[in-house]
Amino acid sequence: MSGQTTTALAPAVWALARREFVRFIRQPQRVIGSLGQPLLFWVFLGAGFTPSFNPPGMEGMTYLEYFYPGVLMMMILFASIFSTITVIEDRDQGFLQGVLVAPVPRMAIVLGKVFGGASIALFQAFILLIAAPFLDTPLPLASLPLLVAAMVLTAVGYTALGFSIAWSMRSTAGFHAIMMVFLMPLWLLSGALFPVAGAPMWLQVVMAINPVAHAMTLLRGPFYATPAELLATPAYLTGLAVVVVWVALGLWVSAVRVGAREKGAAAA
Amino acid sequence: MIIIRNLTHVYAGTRRQKARTALHDLTLEIPERSFCILSGPNGSGKSTLFRILCGLATPTGGSVTVGGHDLFAEPAAVRRLMGVVFQSPAVDKQLSIIENLRLHAELHGLRGAAFQERADEALAWTDIKDRLGDRVDTLSGGLARQVELAKCLLTRPRVLLLDEPTTGLDPASRRAFLGALHRLQRERAMTVLMTSHVFSEAEDADSVAIMQDGRLLAHDTPTALKAQLGQEVVVVRPRTPAVMLEALRRDFDRPVLVHGDELRIEDVPPAEAVVLVEQILTRFRGEVLSIAIKQPDLDDVFVHVTGRTGAASQATGPTPQTTAEDLKPEDQEMRA
Repeated sequence: MSGQTTTALAPAVWALARREFVRFIRQPQRVIGSLGQPLLFWVFLGAGFTPSFNPPGMEGMTYLEYFYPGVLMMMILFASIFSTITVIEDRDQGFLQGVLVAPVPRMAIVLGKVFGGASIALFQAFILLIAAPFLDTPLPLASLPLLVAAMVLTAVGYTALGFSIAWSMRSTAGFHAIMMVFLMPLWLLSGALFPVAGAPMWLQVVMAINPVAHAMTLLRGPFYATPAELLATPAYLTGLAVVVVWVALGLWVSAVRVGAREKGAAAA
Repeated sequence: MIIIRNLTHVYAGTRRQKARTALHDLTLEIPERSFCILSGPNGSGKSTLFRILCGLATPTGGSVTVGGHDLFAEPAAVRRLMGVVFQSPAVDKQLSIIENLRLHAELHGLRGAAFQERADEALAWTDIKDRLGDRVDTLSGGLARQVELAKCLLTRPRVLLLDEPTTGLDPASRRAFLGALHRLQRERAMTVLMTSHVFSEAEDADSVAIMQDGRLLAHDTPTALKAQLGQEVVVVRPRTPAVMLEALRRDFDRPVLVHGDELRIEDVPPAEAVVLVEQILTRFRGEVLSIAIKQPDLDDVFVHVTGRTGAASQATGPTPQTTAEDLKPEDQEMRA
């Protein structure tokens, strides 16, 4: 064996991420569930709200169209977060302890799960993306890479966030509770469901500090503007900065948590 | 190979639970290429020691070196030397055998031809060679254990740690697994430390360490440990142990040990054992449910070693007894 003491980062990340994806594909219920739910939300809410949806400055836009990027976001949120629940299952079933005692960089354990989860989320989101050309949005072809980049960043951000929360949790039921009171509101107040403009002042403040709202800006922008226009918009650039910081922070906190070993207390 | 010095581990107290010490100043040395069994009753600190040794927890105090590397200063170097078999299987049950092996190899930087060669080597002794494509959750408990051990062997560990690896196996699989483990240990010159509370498993080990209440009570070869008990043991199961204990102590000039509802008279020379049984039966026929003469085995050693400490602590007052109850219930499955 070579002199180095830890395995290189990339192969370990790849091995762990691949495992996530293989497990996902082998559970068809998971595929159907996380694909079906946002799709049903979109069709039902979109059809139901379109007659009453008439916010200032968005005349002529159907709710089906307004809600589409929001559904993309929701799908990425659900798929990413659900895939981090497997952190708890891995611990519970014993798999995780085997990984922890392997000589891999702790960051590889984080990135393996995060990239695996993000790829699952993106796999589903890309399927939904097939519906995009049938909407009435301009979606300049040149903006497509920016849309994809926004999706990737968001997926990694969510999985990193989910990972850092799930790491110390011992039950999946507890994780679901956190998800309902913390993660769901992040999405609800992101502008996915309703535009920020018409909301009460306090809600606008909350939405301004919500990183998911900034991710929403990144996700919605490419449907209506060219890359040149977007990169000249301060809101878009702010959004980009916030999301990048969110991703970096999520990964860093996760790696710190994985690296922390349970310590013996001071002698009594 | 494994040197543990003055290891102490305290679990922090909470509002409802006071802090408890799971390991008390434990010192233990396991020489290279030896097979050591670590045993002790539930709550003795075995699992805490195991968690520390595999680097999942850092102790309150003390040091551990494995193969010359400090476990706490260079955890990655120690992880390279070590293979760990956990009590709850550390395999992904939804993946096939070969997928599990490949994943483990990749975490250790083994790929391609090197992996193939190591996999053949690691699987040579197993019964799973023609089921490599099967998912692990379709295997029997015994075969799943083989996957676990084969997985560890891929990296050619110099030190193998096993936490109650035979739990849940039927006697035949248990014997087969241990047989393979002993053979592999010799062939590959590995140092093996295995926790177990089945003492028949320890007969073939190079050494047996017995823990109780976070302290090491004995560490020696099985033969030397059994020699402590002298030649033969007379075991009596009376109807009312308290009454019988008093009677035995009054009528015979021999130390009597209490273990559960059994009374034991140890170190009886072979010539006197039969006489002793006869005398006991003559006097207390109605009181005795069963009586036996035994060659001491490791179970008896365990009773002797742990029972003696129990008696000693009762003699010095009730305080040590309370700490024993406070210890963590050990054999709930260990989690990473």
